[in-house]
Amino acid sequence: MGEIVKVTANDGTTIEFDNESFASGGMKDAYWCKDKKEVVLFFRDKLDTNARDRLNNIVGLYRDRIFNQPGGEYWKNLFAWPTRLVEWEGRVGLVVPTYQKHFFFADGNYAGKEKNGKWFASAKLRNRHLRPEDKGTWLSHFHMLIKIARAVRRLHAAGLAHSDLSYNNVLLDPPGGNACIIDCDGLVVPGKYPPDVVGTPDFIAPEVLATRHLPLTDKNRKLPSRTTDQHALAVMVYMYLLYRHPLRGSKVHDIDDEKNDELLSMGEKALFIEHPTDKSNRVRPENLGKFELPQGDPGKLPYTICGPYLEELFNRAFIDGLHDPSKRPTADEWEQALVKTTDLMQPCRNPDCSAKWFVFDNTTKPKCPWCGTTYHGQLPILNFYYSRSHGQFVSEKYRLMVYDKQTLYMWHVNRFVVANEKTTPEDKKPVGDFHFHNGQWILINRRLPDMWDKTENRQIPIGGYVPLTEGRKILLSTKEGGRLIVVQLVNS
Amino acid sequence: MRRLPVYILIDTSGSMRGEPIEAVKVGLEAMIASLRQDPFALENAAISIITFDKDVKTVLPLTPLEDLQLPEITVPESGATHTGAALRTLCEHVDREVRMSTPERKGDWMPLLFLLTDGKPSDIQEYNNQIQEVKRRKFGAIVACAAGMKARTEPLKQLTDQVYMLDTLDSNGFKQFFKWVSDSIGVGNRSVGSTDDLTLPPPPAEVNIIV
Repeated sequence: MGEIVKVTANDGTTIEFDNESFASGGMKDAYWCKDKKEVVLFFRDKLDTNARDRLNNIVGLYRDRIFNQPGGEYWKNLFAWPTRLVEWEGRVGLVVPTYQKHFFFADGNYAGKEKNGKWFASAKLRNRHLRPEDKGTWLSHFHMLIKIARAVRRLHAAGLAHSDLSYNNVLLDPPGGNACIIDCDGLVVPGKYPPDVVGTPDFIAPEVLATRHLPLTDKNRKLPSRTTDQHALAVMVYMYLLYRHPLRGSKVHDIDDEKNDELLSMGEKALFIEHPTDKSNRVRPENLGKFELPQGDPGKLPYTICGPYLEELFNRAFIDGLHDPSKRPTADEWEQALVKTTDLMQPCRNPDCSAKWFVFDNTTKPKCPWCGTTYHGQLPILNFYYSRSHGQFVSEKYRLMVYDKQTLYMWHVNRFVVANEKTTPEDKKPVGDFHFHNGQWILINRRLPDMWDKTENRQIPIGGYVPLTEGRKILLSTKEGGRLIVVQLVNS
Repeated sequence: MRRLPVYILIDTSGSMRGEPIEAVKVGLEAMIASLRQDPFALENAAISIITFDKDVKTVLPLTPLEDLQLPEITVPESGATHTGAALRTLCEHVDREVRMSTPERKGDWMPLLFLLTDGKPSDIQEYNNQIQEVKRRKFGAIVACAAGMKARTEPLKQLTDQVYMLDTLDSNGFKQFFKWVSDSIGVGNRSVGSTDDLTLPPPPAEVNIIV
């Protein structure tokens, strides 16, 4: 504990902080504000005019663009965005809201520590060092990733790039399915503010590493941008779902110099460990420690366990787009694919399963890839169709897996309703629910005024139910954008 | 998975007896405890501790951080400071313990070496010979710390250009030094500047840099 220092911020308000730093990052030292509701991050180095100008815009213009808009409140949970600038002893500091409580370990060996993303991205740390109550479920990891993708999408939509998405800069809360982007001071504005970091190891895009030896002014030098954020985001999705790095396989590029080997395997020669045809960078499970298994072995848990939507995006991110940035999926595409994948998830029947959830694998014998438990019994799948013209319905290649006590939402009912930050409180209320009742699967209508069982051509009133039998057609809404579902039953 | 081997060489000659060595132990314990809360260190750091007085003792062979139990460190009544012999033992360990890359398997990261002394090498010829041996092996970084007024920096400067001085042999100074050691272990996981190469974090305020 040092002394309390008083300074005036750029907006004229007074900031009081403890002048003894409690933590240090790559470029900044952190100090507690007196009330502990905020921290001040002071840059160790002097900032040039351009850097100051950028910070002014980050606490001003860019902050306004995201937070002072309709729905701006939503983003306060997803970003720890700097609110003010201060100066002290010739150093420039940013005032940032203190991270929410759920981003710190509550008790156990790491009590009080930030939940750095690294804890949750590594098989060994998960298997050996984390307590089960800190790990969350596989479904809650999807919820975290949806928030990360959404936050990145929002930044990109505002014309900004984060430039340093990493374990350190995205705090996680797996049990609650929360995520928060921090360190928003390095934001890149194309053509205006160049990046001052190239990123953090594991997340730096291959083209950035491959051209890092070139001078900053060289036109071939690649610096962090929206497309490198897209690479970092893809790595995050892969790591937080599969607990291994998509490019860290066994291929050795430089046997004598491990720094150069690292540079090549993450940069110029980067190759997906699960590339379908080039198998030279496969993981050798015999090189892994026992606590890195089974997640470390893609042979046991291939990326395809994440379901068809994510499989396609991983292919684009790590096969087609690894060295071709324009082919990388956008944050918006990741968000949509993650949301749709949660609709394919089933709770695992094994109460001791570490993942608790798995993505339906589209087979007649569904099996949890994490613990190997097979599903026995009847499982309804709802295939979504939308009306192109009156009475004609087209498949959307979108499905909803049903499980007991699952709920139906407006974004299932109407294709114009999207599950994101703009979803209205009204649309967030469940409109129906599914049950396995007296030996059959049923859907109970709770709030849909015009739901029809088209197979029997009868309306399902609110409070009424329809059995889910093979081939049954249910129209969820007669309004524009209303979906038709066709029931499929898997018997295993 | 590449490991990051960290070798810590500690002077246990007679002059370290009493408060100085106790302060070192406290510093080491605090460092290990803090590294154990660092997910990056837990994933790949492995630590070895070698003490040297008139004898060289490997009190801790290279051990993954997560399996590490801090051993007892003892100081004899009096005696010489065989820093050269310590470097010889260090080289033997590095040759044996640090995994090199093979065509099938990635090796370890280059090891880090931290040397802490409060005096000067008594075996100066051996010391000079072993400096050449150390330089023949690839270390990611070598940091020497000269603790207390009697510590001589000239011999250390032959080993590395990163020599730091602690004025006093008290627990606060050592604590800061070991905190800096643990920060150095984590430096590879920080944001990388768009112009600079990987650098160690700045040393703590209590430490004087020898230029």
